[in-house]
Amino acid sequence: MLNGERHRSRLLAALACAAVLLLTACGGSGGGDGGDGGPVELRYSWWGNADRAALMQQAIAIFEADHPDIKITPNFSDFAEYWQKLNTESAGGGTPDVLQMDFSYLREYGDRGLLLDLDKSENPVPVNDLLPGLQQAGVVDGQRFAVALSGNTWGLIYDPAAFQTAGVSVPERWTWEEYGAAITKVAQTSGMAGAWDYTSIMGVFEIWLRQQGKALFTEDGRIEATPADLERFWQQGVDLRAAGAFPPQDKVAQALPVTVMGADLAASTVNLDSMVTRYAGESDREFALGALPSSNPADLGIRLRPGILLSAFSGTDHPRQAAQLIDFMVNDPRVGEIFGGNRGLPASNAQRAAATPKLSATDAAVAEYEKTIAQQLTVPSALPPAGVGTADSAFLRINEEMAYGRISVQDAAAQWFSETEAALR
Amino acid sequence: MTAGTSAGPALSRGLRPSAGPQQAGPGGRTRKSLRTDGPAGYFFLSPWILGMLLLTLGPMLASLYLSFTDYNLFTAPEWVGLQNYVDMFADQRWRQSVLVTLTYVVISAPLKLAVALAVAMLLARPRRSQGFYRSAFYAPSLIGASVSIAITWRALFSDDAAVDRVLTALGFPSGGWVGDPSRALMILVLLAVWQFGAPMVIFLAGLKQIPRELYEAAECDGAGPWRKFWSITLPTLSPVIFFNVLMETIGAFQAFTSAFVVSSGNGLGGPAGSTLFYTLYLYERGFQDFRMGYASAMAWMLLLAVGLVTAVLFRTSRSWVFYNDGSS
Repeated sequence: MLNGERHRSRLLAALACAAVLLLTACGGSGGGDGGDGGPVELRYSWWGNADRAALMQQAIAIFEADHPDIKITPNFSDFAEYWQKLNTESAGGGTPDVLQMDFSYLREYGDRGLLLDLDKSENPVPVNDLLPGLQQAGVVDGQRFAVALSGNTWGLIYDPAAFQTAGVSVPERWTWEEYGAAITKVAQTSGMAGAWDYTSIMGVFEIWLRQQGKALFTEDGRIEATPADLERFWQQGVDLRAAGAFPPQDKVAQALPVTVMGADLAASTVNLDSMVTRYAGESDREFALGALPSSNPADLGIRLRPGILLSAFSGTDHPRQAAQLIDFMVNDPRVGEIFGGNRGLPASNAQRAAATPKLSATDAAVAEYEKTIAQQLTVPSALPPAGVGTADSAFLRINEEMAYGRISVQDAAAQWFSETEAALR
Repeated sequence: MTAGTSAGPALSRGLRPSAGPQQAGPGGRTRKSLRTDGPAGYFFLSPWILGMLLLTLGPMLASLYLSFTDYNLFTAPEWVGLQNYVDMFADQRWRQSVLVTLTYVVISAPLKLAVALAVAMLLARPRRSQGFYRSAFYAPSLIGASVSIAITWRALFSDDAAVDRVLTALGFPSGGWVGDPSRALMILVLLAVWQFGAPMVIFLAGLKQIPRELYEAAECDGAGPWRKFWSITLPTLSPVIFFNVLMETIGAFQAFTSAFVVSSGNGLGGPAGSTLFYTLYLYERGFQDFRMGYASAMAWMLLLAVGLVTAVLFRTSRSWVFYNDGSS
């Protein structure tokens, strides 16, 4: 008996030791590589769903076959979780070697010194095959912290059947006043609201300003617009809502997470052109793309916006290999063929050509739309300031309070300015 | 069920006058084995102690420090003194979250307890298939915290869904509640009230402890059901009620999941911020805006507020909680 007990306590002690060892082992660095001749390990993180992960595996397999000395350790999550995870990893010094980057976070990560200058790395990533509007997309204060691998832009997405039923034709170009009158008429005759409240999107406000030769943010990341500008913009929305052009806000809130267009609550919307893929998935309606309204017919005020970018960690042990992987993912036509429109329309001409036969009907419509307005898309997008994500969600939220009639236009504008000034600090 | 087990002390203190035999053991032996088994006891406790120190106390102290700093996870925390606490009072959205949370606590906790007590009293009387009814009424609190129930709940209160149809049939056309800022919070209150199982079980246990003689004596004196409820049930049950009020109030302050799932639309706490629980705003500040210092300060304000409410409850309890422990 006594022996048995002693035996048992020894076993317990051994188990405890094992547990402690296991914990410390987990805490140690996972990169078992170096100059010992084995393959170099690269950690590669992206956001996306399981579909994208399956395609990514195919692409990675080709890359590893081309580069037997490199082994990729993939890691993916949803967009929101991706940033939580990346922020936490980075705070602990464990940023992945190669990571997917979003335009609105680029300055934050670049300013914190977390990103490798891809022009100065041992293998600069070539960008000469990228669409002209996207070539400079990842450059922050002269350093190339990211390379765009896809791009999109703003447009008018509409349901041609609804406009036809209402007897309203969609011209090639129109002003905001003409568009406002058209969506009001659609709402009056078809029973469906004419548009989703485009004054709820900060990006549209920015475009609207640009069409008048103004800007939303200054180059050094301050607000350039005035409260009077925002009041004018939001007053448009309030007037159109009063005229019945927009769907009631409680129906919009209730439909979430399905979009207004996906829930068949409105006949048109001003949004990123790539959103049409999502709408088509949510709704049975057919959608078409056209130029968005502009107060200046010669200038739509839109830019080609990088959809997804790729960056490398400044502290990576393998900058050369990281740059090779980015080059492959951005420029190799085989990757374009694998992904089709999954990552958005490819940024490089080689990938765009290779992806074309694989595009869905809606993706092809987006490609066609971007071709028709290509001459408008040569100016690169200005890099948004750090904190722009907070400003963007505040814009949507404060507009919602206005749509419920809980706050006046003046108070709403003042609130957005005070919140945004705090966020951009 | 932590709520169920921790009800023990309160119950035994007030309502177990005849609990003697279990406590008295063969004294000498028990005391000796207590002494020699001390280290082993701590050893077996060590997972909990380590967890408490490393996963609860450590992070709490770290968060206390961070609450006095400006910290965004990347750059080193920068000491700002009480600035975060001062900023809070000027923050419109913070004030809104406080208002929403207080409204929720004040409505949902008493309502839930009233329902729990009413159902417990119905179930306390011996009757057939008693076990079935108890389980059936308890079930919602097992599944109620899950995301799927919150999603179902949201669907129930949409346009032309179950609630809308029933109310319309009864002559109260209400439309959907989900998109209506004046009613969205009520969805969450009802979801909380529906999960009345845990306090109900505790009430049931408490009701069983009330000596039958008291009721018999009251009946002899001609007391009706209301009189018996006010003069016997409520006073003798007061320690249990106090415990439940405490637990439910603290729990209501910490509500998160239901609002996160039911009402997250254009930003958290929609529509129009009407369901912006304090915890939701804390999450938004910490994990969406990455203002960890501010979020930590918010967390400590919540702790202080809950501590204050608890202290007030304890203080008032002296005047209405009746411990029948024979000392008076």
